[in-house]
Amino acid sequence: MARHAFDVAVVGTGPGGYVAAIRCAQLGLSVATVEDDRPGGVCLNWGCIPTKALLRNAEVLDLIGRAAEFGIRVSGVEASYAEAVQRSRRVADRMAKGVEFLFRKNKITLFPGRGVLRARGTVEVTGASGVETLEAKAVILATGSEPKSLPGVAIDEKTVVSSNGAVRNETKPASLVIIGAGAVGVEFADVYAAYGVRVTVLEALPRIVPIEDEDCSKELARAFGRRGIELKTGVKVASVKAGGRGAIVETDAGKLEAEQVLMAVGRGAKVTGLSLEALGAELERGFVKVSPRMETGAKGVYAIGDMAGPPLLAHKAMAEGVVAAEAIAGRDPRPVDYAGVPSCTYCRPQVASIGATEAAARAKGREVAVGKFPFTASGKAVALGETEGFVKVVADKATGEILGVHIVGPEATEIIHEFAVGRTLEATLEEMIHTIHAHPTLSEAALEATLGALGQAIHL
Amino acid sequence: MAISKVVMPKLSEAMESGKIIKWLKREGDRVQGGDILAEVETDKADVEMEAFGAGVLRKILVPAGEKAPVGTLIAVIAEPADDISALLASAPTAVAAEAGAAGSASARNDTRSAPPAAPIPAAAPAAAPPRPTVVSPPAPTTPAVSVAVPAATGRVKASPLAKKIAAQSGVDLRLLQGSGPGGRIIRRDVEAASQRGPGPMPAVGVPAVEGPEYEDRPLTQIRAAIARQMPLSKAPVPHFYVTSEVAMDRAWALREELHALEGQPKISVNDLVVRACALTLLRHPGVNASFQGASIRVYHRAHIGIAVALEDGLITPVLRDCQAKSLAQIAVEARDLAERARTRKLRVSEISGATFSISNLGMFDVAEFSAIINPPEGAILAVGSVRRVPVVEDAGLGVGRRMMLTLSCDHRVMDGAMGARFLQDLKRLLEEPLRLLV
Repeated sequence: MARHAFDVAVVGTGPGGYVAAIRCAQLGLSVATVEDDRPGGVCLNWGCIPTKALLRNAEVLDLIGRAAEFGIRVSGVEASYAEAVQRSRRVADRMAKGVEFLFRKNKITLFPGRGVLRARGTVEVTGASGVETLEAKAVILATGSEPKSLPGVAIDEKTVVSSNGAVRNETKPASLVIIGAGAVGVEFADVYAAYGVRVTVLEALPRIVPIEDEDCSKELARAFGRRGIELKTGVKVASVKAGGRGAIVETDAGKLEAEQVLMAVGRGAKVTGLSLEALGAELERGFVKVSPRMETGAKGVYAIGDMAGPPLLAHKAMAEGVVAAEAIAGRDPRPVDYAGVPSCTYCRPQVASIGATEAAARAKGREVAVGKFPFTASGKAVALGETEGFVKVVADKATGEILGVHIVGPEATEIIHEFAVGRTLEATLEEMIHTIHAHPTLSEAALEATLGALGQAIHL
Repeated sequence: MAISKVVMPKLSEAMESGKIIKWLKREGDRVQGGDILAEVETDKADVEMEAFGAGVLRKILVPAGEKAPVGTLIAVIAEPADDISALLASAPTAVAAEAGAAGSASARNDTRSAPPAAPIPAAAPAAAPPRPTVVSPPAPTTPAVSVAVPAATGRVKASPLAKKIAAQSGVDLRLLQGSGPGGRIIRRDVEAASQRGPGPMPAVGVPAVEGPEYEDRPLTQIRAAIARQMPLSKAPVPHFYVTSEVAMDRAWALREELHALEGQPKISVNDLVVRACALTLLRHPGVNASFQGASIRVYHRAHIGIAVALEDGLITPVLRDCQAKSLAQIAVEARDLAERARTRKLRVSEISGATFSISNLGMFDVAEFSAIINPPEGAILAVGSVRRVPVVEDAGLGVGRRMMLTLSCDHRVMDGAMGARFLQDLKRLLEEPLRLLV
């Protein structure tokens, strides 16, 4: 059994793990990474990136469907879903290779196999070529998360699939019930609906994308409704059974039948099999408890990303990876600002937000000022033919502090960042409105919404 | 032609930044290598900064009164024809921005063209001492307007949100320590301050007394350096002290005689002590020594630091190779060093490298005291005043001149007996002062 000594061993090479590994290497530490799949984790291989490729296909297909609006007559359109999935696989492959390249560039050693923490500084890797032992001064765990299911419902990745199965399935069902209307649920609803699948989305909470501002949920529900996606909110699923055309979903509001069911009820941290608790780390609600430096209760053992708690987002994991790496290198990193993590959903129209919803801000007793600007009033959006949605700014009335921003619409996930920067710098509405926005851009809607919160919107 | 960059020099080990007290050359002046360009205040002393290249002082990037980190580009020397725009463009913007207030008129009409016809006068008054922050008892209603006004001591670095909250809660940003990047005051700093409340309230029933309650004086560089250094000197160095009384009658008489000689410099008691120490240190190299962790470095030369009191602190210029200097030489050089220390004109080489120090508070009529060792030196001698005291003589009671010497010793370097023997020999030399002349 071979033994290897490193300064840092990183278990898991998703966005948290690979960023932590690279940052450690930049800081002069010798780094080993352990991965039982391809480098890049769920994000690059099975999550963020391949689904963005599929969503782009859906967008292109929809745009072709709307070609007549632009005076373009298109005929003989053939959309192969299998080829959409194949393209998405190529995109994922390319990004995973990118991570491999970054590892080589930063002299990071990759140990393929499954990593188990044997002691605080010892990681045992079981791979195809046997067992190897890594001795490291610090260990960063970044094992991520996996799709959850409902009690009593088994995911077979045929009739009842998770995002893992859906993202690689080259065949599409004729009808699909999606359980859960969070980011994963609505993104797959978008893709499948574009390819002609009859989609029904079930959500137990009263509205879709339930963590977002209520206005966003309404706007997205309207847009989905126009595209024929059926939404059933406030519906509790009792059981999912094989039968009928594929599966029968029993709910408190009746029975549904579909060829396939997609479970999108959330993700759970992968914390088992690591012998974490035996080493002194604590778990809390299924996640590993960490300090602001990302260290677990076991000294020298760090945990980042999905396993370290919500929000389960790649960019949050990356930020935590940097903090862990800098803490290990003896720096004094600024802790992750969890209130400043943007949330992005890439269905069409896109949904993006940062900070508190209007309701949450009001619930805290703040006197708020709200500015809202619809894309129908944006020259650029009208020219693009993408006028769904709005930018909504929620600010503190007294100070102009930006409490939250909620965007539905074209490139919402890009527009959100000016507010992220503004919040980091503690800019108030005043500084935002004195920032000149180029014309014509979608970002002008951000400026107008900000002006609106001050009662000064020009174009409305 | 050669363009020379003038950067903030690292004038001492601990130096992180320096403040330009005064530019002695102006933009447009021709300078030679070795010319004194500016006076720089470091944590230890005010020193003169020399030019290393020849040419025209084309650009001053850090005006008088501003601080700059070590290594920052602070000026450019070049020939009038040289294009220095690229170099200026690469200068840190923070510096440029700060310099902007004082001298940006010339910062823009830079380069290629001839040097400014009428050189702008030195930008800021030289070395304005930091202004104390005066804290008054809180007024019944705190006007919130003060926040928008930049503090007298410089720009307040605060986020827009912090400024707004401060304005609304009556917190004076100038009194806050920022916890954001680079000391920027952010929201949580202001919120914490406003929760702490506006400071001590006047006691109920006590008639209000006019005037400020107290003032917080900002640390001068030298006071900050002493505050930083002294705990490092005292705590890790195990001090012990040996004291001895020296009969100074003959030394006093010798000094009077020397004073009477024409064409000889005035010799002070301290000069006699310096000379005596130099000779004694040669015989007791164990005292002229420094703790080095794994070894003890024993010096064969006596570089003696002489503490000089300044208004806002003290500084210890070093008289080198005292073992090889006559009393007259010591007297002349010590006076020169002390004077330049008071006018802050010492060079870097003159404030470092002592192997032993002397601190004399005799002029304040101090009978005796003990001093803190200045690491890495191994000992320091504290000299009291020469007092006239009753002494027991063969014939009965008489009047004698006596002086107390206290040697502070680093126990890691030497033991009590070593210090005592040194003091004994030192005492003998001073009591038989003719030995100091040979």
